[in-house]
Amino acid sequence: MKKLLSLMLALSMMLALAACGGGGGNGGGGTPPASNPPAGSTGDQTPPPADGGGNGSGGVLRLALSTNDGSTKDDRVPTPWLNHNMATNLMWRCLLLADSSLTKTSPDLAEVTISDDGLTYTITMKDGLKWSDGEPLTADDVLWSIDAVMAATNKNSIYSAAFGKITEKSADGNVITLVLDSPYASMMDILAQFSILPKHSLESADPATIDTADFWKDPVTSGYYMMDEMSVGNYFTLKLNPNYEGTAPKIEKVTVSFVTDFLTAAQAGSADFLYGNASDLVSGMESLSNYQSIPVDVLFYKYFQFNMKGVDGNENEAMQNVEVRKALIKAIDRITLAGFYPTANVLNSGVPNSHEAYNGFEYEYNPEQAKADLVAAGYDMDRTLRICYYNNDQTSIDLINMVVYYLEQAGLKVEATLSNDGTTDLFTTRNYDMGFKGKSSFSMEEWYSEYMSTDALFANIFGGDTAFDDAIAKLASSTNDADKNAALAELQALEQEKVYKVPMFTVGNYVFVSNNVNMPAGVEFCNPLYTCDIDFANWTVA
Amino acid sequence: MSETATVSIKEQNKSAASSLMKKNLRKFLRNKLAVLGLVVILVILVACVAGALLGVDYSTPNPPIMRQAPSGEHIFGTDTIGRDLFARVLFGGCYSIFIGVFCAVLSSVLGAVLGAIAGYFGKWADMIIVRISEIFQAFPQLVLVMMLVAILKERSINNMLFVFVITGWMTTFRMVRNEFMSLKNETYVKVCEAFGMSRSNVMFKQILPNVMTPIIVSTTTNVAYFILQEASLSFIGLGVSDSTPTWGNILNAAKSIDVVQNQWWLWVFPGLAISLFVLAINFFGDGLRDVLDAKQQ
Amino acid sequence: MLKFIAKKLLLMIPMLIVISLIVYLGLKSTGVDPINSMIPPEVLSQNPELAEQMREELGYNDPVLIQYARWLGNIVRGDFGYTMKNEKIIDIVAARLPYTLELSAYAMLFSAVIGIGIGIISAIRQNGIVDYIGRVLAVLGQAVPQFLVGIILIWIFSIKLGIFPASNRVSPDATNAFVDAFMHLFLPVLTLTIGMVAVLMRYARNTMLDVLNSDYIKTARSKGIPEWKVYLKHGFRNAMKPVLVILMFRIPTLIGGSVVIESVFSYPGIGTTMTNAITNMDYNLVLVITLIIAAVMLICSFMVDVINALLDPRVRLGE
Repeated sequence: MKKLLSLMLALSMMLALAACGGGGGNGGGGTPPASNPPAGSTGDQTPPPADGGGNGSGGVLRLALSTNDGSTKDDRVPTPWLNHNMATNLMWRCLLLADSSLTKTSPDLAEVTISDDGLTYTITMKDGLKWSDGEPLTADDVLWSIDAVMAATNKNSIYSAAFGKITEKSADGNVITLVLDSPYASMMDILAQFSILPKHSLESADPATIDTADFWKDPVTSGYYMMDEMSVGNYFTLKLNPNYEGTAPKIEKVTVSFVTDFLTAAQAGSADFLYGNASDLVSGMESLSNYQSIPVDVLFYKYFQFNMKGVDGNENEAMQNVEVRKALIKAIDRITLAGFYPTANVLNSGVPNSHEAYNGFEYEYNPEQAKADLVAAGYDMDRTLRICYYNNDQTSIDLINMVVYYLEQAGLKVEATLSNDGTTDLFTTRNYDMGFKGKSSFSMEEWYSEYMSTDALFANIFGGDTAFDDAIAKLASSTNDADKNAALAELQALEQEKVYKVPMFTVGNYVFVSNNVNMPAGVEFCNPLYTCDIDFANWTVA
Repeated sequence: MSETATVSIKEQNKSAASSLMKKNLRKFLRNKLAVLGLVVILVILVACVAGALLGVDYSTPNPPIMRQAPSGEHIFGTDTIGRDLFARVLFGGCYSIFIGVFCAVLSSVLGAVLGAIAGYFGKWADMIIVRISEIFQAFPQLVLVMMLVAILKERSINNMLFVFVITGWMTTFRMVRNEFMSLKNETYVKVCEAFGMSRSNVMFKQILPNVMTPIIVSTTTNVAYFILQEASLSFIGLGVSDSTPTWGNILNAAKSIDVVQNQWWLWVFPGLAISLFVLAINFFGDGLRDVLDAKQQ
Repeated sequence: MLKFIAKKLLLMIPMLIVISLIVYLGLKSTGVDPINSMIPPEVLSQNPELAEQMREELGYNDPVLIQYARWLGNIVRGDFGYTMKNEKIIDIVAARLPYTLELSAYAMLFSAVIGIGIGIISAIRQNGIVDYIGRVLAVLGQAVPQFLVGIILIWIFSIKLGIFPASNRVSPDATNAFVDAFMHLFLPVLTLTIGMVAVLMRYARNTMLDVLNSDYIKTARSKGIPEWKVYLKHGFRNAMKPVLVILMFRIPTLIGGSVVIESVFSYPGIGTTMTNAITNMDYNLVLVITLIIAAVMLICSFMVDVINALLDPRVRLGE
C-alpha cells in the first residue's frame, strides 16, 4: 500500500512539474499539446498569415530582427538612436525625411531652414502632430530628444558629433531655434536620421540606459504604426497608428520576429525583408527563388580598432608603440580576406580608395617585415595578443580565424574571443588589444567622428587624443568639395600616422525582399541601418 | 616450509587469475558489438595519434580552396577557410579524446578517493564531503566555465579539464561511498583492522578493489560523456578557443544553416567522428560491464 | 517522514548560500567594474568623482562579504536587483523561466513515457523488433551530439519540409495558441527527448528484465495469473521505482541540455538568457540565474531523496 502511495506521490510530482511548465507559457494550454499529433500537423500545413489581415488589401508584412548584432535584445524594440531598422523606421519619424542617398531631405515632422552663415537652424514643427497615445508631439519633445541622445550610452556617434555643435537651443511655440558654434555641413542629413522620441513617456528613465527602459516594451510612436503586442523573446506586432496625420499605409499589420539567423528565417519563409553583407547570407539568399536581392550602396566599414587607453589614463601598454600597431597591420593579408565577402574593397583609411580624396597610401602585406618590425619595436612575443569580435556569423568567424593565423605567422600568440560588442568591451574590461567591428556608416564623417576626443565611446579607447579634433571640425564645416577633400587629406595623414584603427575594407550590402511584397515602382533602398523614403505607404503584401 | 606454501598459494592464485582472464577474454570476444567498439576506438585513436605525430597540416588556411567538397587531395574536403578537414578531424580527435580520457580518469580517481574517505570514515567527514558533492551537483557547469574564463582571462584547454574534473566526480563518489558504507562492516574488513593494517591499506587495498568494476565501467562511459560535453560547450561559445581544433570546435561550422545544406562534409565528418567514437565507447563499456560484472558471472 | 522532509528542506538553505557565495566571490574576482556599464563613458571621463561617488553609494567600496550579505538580504526579501543594463531581473526571470520549465517538463514527460514504454516492451519481447529498434535508437540518441540532432531536425522539418518553425516559442500570426505551442515545442522537445529517452529506455529495460526474472514473478506466473496482469501489476510496478529515481537524476542533465537546445532553436528561455548574460558579463543576472538553477537542481535531488525514503525506510533510519 505504501509503495503504491509513494508511486502516486512521485507521479504527481512529475505531473505538477509538467503542469506548471505548461501553464506558464504565454497562457497557452495547460494540457500537453501533443495529445493529438495528427490533428496538429494537418492543421498546420497551411499557415497563411493573411487570414487575419482585415480587409485583405494590404496584407501583413513580416519583418525579422536579428539578435546577433550585439545590441538588439529579444525583449524590446531596439532604440532608433543606435541603428535604424525597417521596424523602427515605421514607428518613429524624424524632423526631416531623407531620400535613398541620405543627403537630400524633405520636411517630415518639421520644416528646417538654415541661416546664411550656417549657424542658425530654424525648425518649424508641423501643426497637429500627435503621438500614438494621443499626446501632442511638440517642440518640447525635440529639445528633450536632443538632450537625451547626448546623455545616452548606446547611440550612433553621428548625433553626438552634430549636436555637440549646438550652443543654444530654444523653442517658441512650434518654432525651434538651434544655434551652432561652427557650421556643420551634414546637419540636415542628420536631422533626417534623428528619431524624435516622446518626452512624456521617457522623461523619468535613466538617460544613460535609456535604450533598456521599459518604454521599449510598449513604446509610444509617431510613425505609421504603433505597438500592438510584445511577446518577450519571440516577436512584436505593429498596428496602424490612428494618430498618424498623413495617409495611412496599405499594409495594415506588421509582425517583427526576433531571430538569431536571417538566413534560417528566410528559408523557413518567415521574413519578407532582410539585409546583410555576410557571404553565407548573400549566397544563401540568392539560392532562394522567392526573394530578390537588391545591392545597396553603403559605406559599410569593417575594421579593427586598437585598445589604446581611457580618458582616465588607464592604458594598454602593449599597444602604445605605433610601430607595433603598424607591424600588426603588415602581418594581415587584407586582400585575401576581402575575398570572404561577396564584394569588398580594401581600405587604407576612412576614405575609400576609389574616392577622389584618397591619398594613395597603402598598408602592404609583408609578414616577414611585420615579424622583424615587432621584434625591433620590442614587443614581447610571449605575450598573448587578445582580439574580441561580436558578430558570430560564419563569415566573421572565418575572418577572425584567418587574422589569428596571420598574426601567428608573424610569431605572435593570439587569442580571439567572441564578446558582447567590439567597442564597449574594449574599455570596460581592457582585456583586449584589438576589437573587430563593422560600421554601417552614414558618411565618411562618421568614421572620422570616432576619433574625436569627446566621443563618448572612443575617447575611452583612443584615450581622448585631441590630434584629430581640428581636422574633424574642418571636415564637418566644409561646404564645398575642395574644402572637404583638403580636410580628408589631413585626416588620412593623421590616421595613417596614429594608426588607431586597422581599416580592412568596405563591404557591399544587400537588401532582400520577398516576392510576397509588391513595392511601387522606383523604390530605392538606402543603407538598411538608416532611414529614408521608400514610399512605404504604397507597399502591399500578397 | 611456510615459504613454499605461500608461493604455491600465490601461484595458484595466479593461475586462477589467468584462467579467469582467459574466460573473461573469451566472454568479451563473444560480444561482437564490444569487440567492434574496441576496434573502432583503436582505429580512431591510432589514426589521430599517427596524424598528429606525422604532423599533418591542420592549421594553414588556404582561402582560394575554401569549402571544397571531398576530393583526392582533401579526402574530407576543406573547411570554411580552406584548411584540410581530414587533418583537422585527426588533430581534433587527439584533443577531444585527450579531454575525454583525462577528465574521465581524473574525475573517477577524485570520486573514488573522496568516496572511500566519506564511506569509510563516515560521521562528519562523510557529511562534509556529501554536502560538497551536493553543492557541485547543483552548480551549473556553464557558470563555472564562464567564471574561470573571466578570472583567468583565457579560454584554454586547462579550464575545461579543470571544470570537467571538479564537476564530474560525483557519480563515482556516490557509488564508491555506498559500497564502502556497506563493506566496512564486513568481517574481513574488521579482521584486517584488528590485525593493525593501516587505514589507507584497508581502504585502498582491501575495500576499493571490490568497487573497481563499476568504476572502470563508468570511467569508460564517462570518456564519451566528456567528449560530448566539450562539443556542447564549444557550440555555445564557451569551449576551448577556436584555434584549438577540438571535434566540438570543428563541428561548430554546422551552426550556419547554409553549411548544413550546402557543405555537408563540414559537419558530417566531424559529426561522424564524434558519434562513432562515442558509440564505440558505449559498446565497449557495455561489453566490459558484461564481462566484469560479478553478478552475471 | 515529515521530520525527514523538513530536515532535507532546511539543508537546502545553507547549500544555496554556499553556492551563491562561491559564485559571488568568483564573479567579484573577475575584476569587471559594474560602474563602467552604469555610467555613460563620456560622463565617466568628464567627472571620475561621479563614478567614485556612485561606487560609494552602491556600496561597492565595502568589504566583499558585506556586499554579499547585503545582496543576500535583498534576495531573501524578494528583491532580485537590476542587471547591469538597469533592467529588473525579476521581470526577466518571470518572462523566461516558464518557457524553460515548459520545455523541460514536456521533454521529461515524453521521454519518460516513451523511454519507459519502449523499455518495458523490449524487456517483455526481448530481441523482438521493438527491442532492436529501441536499442539502435537508444545508442544513436546517446552518441550524436544533441545540438547536431537539433540542427538536422531544423534542416529537415523547418527548411526542407517547412512543417515546423525553426525558432522562437510563439509566432506573431498564430490563430490558435494551442497549435502554435505544439508547432514551436515539437522540435526542441523532440531533440531533448531523443537524448533523454536513450538512458531511460536502457534502464527501464534492464530493471524490467531483472523484475521479470525474479522469483515472485515466477511465482505469480505459476499461480496462473494472466500474463498481462503479471506484467502490469507486478512487473511494471516494481520496475518503476528505480526508474523514477533515475528520471529525477536526469533533470540536471535536462537543464544543461536545454541551455544548448535553446540556443539551437533560438528558444527564449532562461538558458539563452544565461548564455547571453555570460557573454555580456552581466554578473548580476548570472548570479540570480545560477541561484535559480541551483535551487531547481537541489529540489530535484530533494525529490529523489524523498522518493527513496518512501520506497526504502532504511534510508530514513540511516540519516
